Amino acid sequence: MLEAIIIFIGLALLFGLLLGYASIRFKIEGNPVAERIDKILPQTQCGQCGFPGCKPYAEALAKGETEVNLCIPGGREVMIEISEITGLEPKEMEETEEEDKPKEIAYIDEDLCIGCVLCIKECPVDAILGATKLMHTVIKQECTGCEKCVPVCPVDCIDMRPIPLSTRNWKWPEPGENATPAETSAREQS
Amino acid sequence: MSVFTSLIQKIAPVYPQAKRWLHRFNGGVFPQYRKELSSRQPIHVPIIPERLIMPLQQQVGQPAELLVKIGDKVKKNQLIARSSKDANKALVVPIHAPTSGTIEEIANYTLPHPSGLEDIAIIIKPDHLDEAIENVLQVSGKTPETPQQLKDILLNAGIVGMGGAGFPTYAKLPKETAKIHTLLINGAECEPFITCDDLLMQTEADAIIQGALITANALGSTKILCGIESNKPTAIKAMKAAAKDTIIEIIEVQSVYPMGGQKQLTQELTGVEMPHKAHAVDIGLLMMNVATFAAIYKAVTLGEPLTSRLVSVTGLGLAKPFNIRALIGTPFDTLAKAAEPKTELNYPLVMGGPMMGFAVQNNQVPVIKTTNCILANPPEPTEMQMPCIRCGECMDACPINLLPQQMYWHSQAHEFDKVEKLNVFDCIECGCCSYVCPSHIPLVQYYRHAKSEIKEIHAEEKAVALAKERHEFKLARIEREKQEREARLKAKKDAVKKQAAQSSTTDKPSSVPKASNAAAAAGAKAAAAKRAAAKNAAKNNDNMSTEPEKTENNIPAARRKAIEAAKQAASQANDSEGNVMTPKEAAKKAAMAAAKKRAQAKKAETTEPTDNSVATESEATPFKKDPKQAAKAAAMAAAKKRAETKKSETTEAADNSIATENEATPVKKDPKQAAKAAAMAAAKKRAQAKKAELASEALEQSVDLTETTEPSAASKKEAARKAAMQAARAAAKKRKAESDSNIAKPANEDGSNAYSDSTNDKKQQAMQLAKANAAKKAAERAAKKRAEQAASDSTEESN
Repeated sequence: MLEAIIIFIGLALLFGLLLGYASIRFKIEGNPVAERIDKILPQTQCGQCGFPGCKPYAEALAKGETEVNLCIPGGREVMIEISEITGLEPKEMEETEEEDKPKEIAYIDEDLCIGCVLCIKECPVDAILGATKLMHTVIKQECTGCEKCVPVCPVDCIDMRPIPLSTRNWKWPEPGENATPAETSAREQS
Repeated sequence: MSVFTSLIQKIAPVYPQAKRWLHRFNGGVFPQYRKELSSRQPIHVPIIPERLIMPLQQQVGQPAELLVKIGDKVKKNQLIARSSKDANKALVVPIHAPTSGTIEEIANYTLPHPSGLEDIAIIIKPDHLDEAIENVLQVSGKTPETPQQLKDILLNAGIVGMGGAGFPTYAKLPKETAKIHTLLINGAECEPFITCDDLLMQTEADAIIQGALITANALGSTKILCGIESNKPTAIKAMKAAAKDTIIEIIEVQSVYPMGGQKQLTQELTGVEMPHKAHAVDIGLLMMNVATFAAIYKAVTLGEPLTSRLVSVTGLGLAKPFNIRALIGTPFDTLAKAAEPKTELNYPLVMGGPMMGFAVQNNQVPVIKTTNCILANPPEPTEMQMPCIRCGECMDACPINLLPQQMYWHSQAHEFDKVEKLNVFDCIECGCCSYVCPSHIPLVQYYRHAKSEIKEIHAEEKAVALAKERHEFKLARIEREKQEREARLKAKKDAVKKQAAQSSTTDKPSSVPKASNAAAAAGAKAAAAKRAAAKNAAKNNDNMSTEPEKTENNIPAARRKAIEAAKQAASQANDSEGNVMTPKEAAKKAAMAAAKKRAQAKKAETTEPTDNSVATESEATPFKKDPKQAAKAAAMAAAKKRAETKKSETTEAADNSIATENEATPVKKDPKQAAKAAAMAAAKKRAQAKKAELASEALEQSVDLTETTEPSAASKKEAARKAAMQAARAAAKKRKAESDSNIAKPANEDGSNAYSDSTNDKKQQAMQLAKANAAKKAAERAAKKRAEQAASDSTEESN
């Protein structure tokens, strides 16, 4: 009887120590679920979800404190992915975005800009360049198109413009029912 | 070998696929070549069209930088658009005028690109004199000895790969000597219909051979191989004759499509199959088209840039197809019409061959450096696309052993990650799979679409990573700045405490009067500096805000008087700065006057910080000069002021500090102590100003940080900024109102004119100008009694 108790106490201590060691040795930094969600979010940092950036929203989702359908730029696809990761019930998007809206970036009318730096403070990715009483401009490559700078401008000199189509960002269209003339002329040789 | 070949030829009629055993790469197809249409004709006499269209971007990479303007006269070979400084990174090549003439227009024109998009192009109207600048590249005629020398010449000559891809040749060459052991010359020309390389080899074999030798010499290559398809016997003969007694070896290769592909011909000539994601240069091989070598020869020995090229103008729709040395920029239409089209050219021409070419959107598009063929095949009824029957023909035909059918399925289902895993980026888009497909599925179209989509997905991933990184950096920066600010504030507080402790200890022993003089002088100097700053701020403020307020209200007048008084005091103080002892009476007067002015200003209920600070200065300065008088004056002033402040219940930070200062002085008659007290008061003021700033969330951090080092300026600047903001808001409102009432046009024009005039000046000036304009406009409107409710609102706002 006594030896059995001793054995089990010993085993309990051993496993307790093992578990304690493992929890320190193999500690996971951060919340892996939040990180996975953060990865699929579009990172526009627009704050339309009500959180200050994509990461806070991901963290709130991981804790299950918020809804899955708040990411407007991500749209329905992201909502479904989030619900798959978190296991939360998928919910229809409240604001249905018009499909395939071309990506827009902010444009500052430099003649109207008064150099108030309000938009610089607002930009979540520091994509606006300028200083007090000097003209500001948008760094095109870094603008995420979150539209946060538009309402803060006191002189309304910022508007959102679609990225112009050029040969560098032109995409081959998906083939439809009919082949292009080039293909046709190729086939006529046979 | 020949026995094997003849055996295959015999099997071929029964089993056509047997011909695929004759070459080293997989698959390939045997289309009807129809090269005889144009190859039997002599080279057409040159045509100088009515206008030349020179797009600034002719190949991959960035557009060139414009060097000419409308109306300029140019000569043949003159540089009209140059590459940027960092040509290697941007892949830009310069553009030269192909003939003499006038720059007629610089505008958007349709590009010879499958998208049919427009881009900036230079339009040259030829004068048909064809005056040329000889040796425009200023070459010595000596063969370059190092790769870099050759690269420089090629860049200046604007030479790109003329086989079809158009990759800038200078960027293709390696920098290191002897990195390329074997140089390969591509004379295969496997596409049906095209014969321009064939004709070039027949007529300019020497130039090609010399160009290859020059390149090999510069790069340190020891072996040169030239592959020519067996269906060009005349060209092979000419090339063999030219290459006699050189290191160049001419090799006849099997006529099969796509033998002319870089990877395929390399494999055929050397037996080396290009590794995945590697460039030929990485394995010591370099292949260039025959036309490129001819252009290199002309650039290196004659100093001629690339301004023309051989183009095949052919097709079933033309009665007299030909090859021509066409000027870059010649519209397709001009050349096609010269070949006597059988029917009207109401169908799109094709740039390139029937396998890899694309139909242009507009027959007016120009010949560019990569245009090897203009094809006019009348449209035929398109065959219906049928479902895939999984026959596997495409897989057998694929020259790079891809799985076209699998890629097609995944592309159709938009599973682009899977398409990428099937190495779609190794696809050379040769079109063999589409050609053999019995269901007429445009397979290559699917792969091109998939490639575009995959590229976009990757670009988006990169953008997302960048956005995330920058967002996190911004958060970290804000946090760091907050901490720094707190630390600085704490340090300041500590310093003030220390000073207070020190002053209380030094209170007891009476100090030496001589030292006190020096201290007072120092204090006076500091005060003078402060005053100067205040004056500037006040001036600024005046400029910014008074102009729109001129109409009524006498507050600004009072303020101006106060400022003037301050100025007067300042000038007096400045006069006496060298002499420590000021004329007592003057000081007294100044102090009195200042106090009076201040009282007036107060009565008029100005609560603007600038006023206060100005007043502070005017009263603070004189009594530092002469402690006794100042003490008296200050005591009076302080008494008055205290009464006033109580009355008006203003709780301005500056006022408080003055009050404390004034209170402190009469008690301690020692000048040193007075100076110290002033310092303390200043410190307090600073602290208060800072607090106020923090509380009101100052707009921009950078400016704030600099401000904290000279704190007296902080409150004033903020005031100035507020005024500016108000003015801006008023201006914006006004603008809106104007646009509402349909009289926006002149105002905007005025405004934009003012802006454009002053773009080189400071923004501030532009603002003032604009504001003056706005004020003028407002006045005009008032006079004309056209003011509507919104307009009157806006003027009220500005007041």
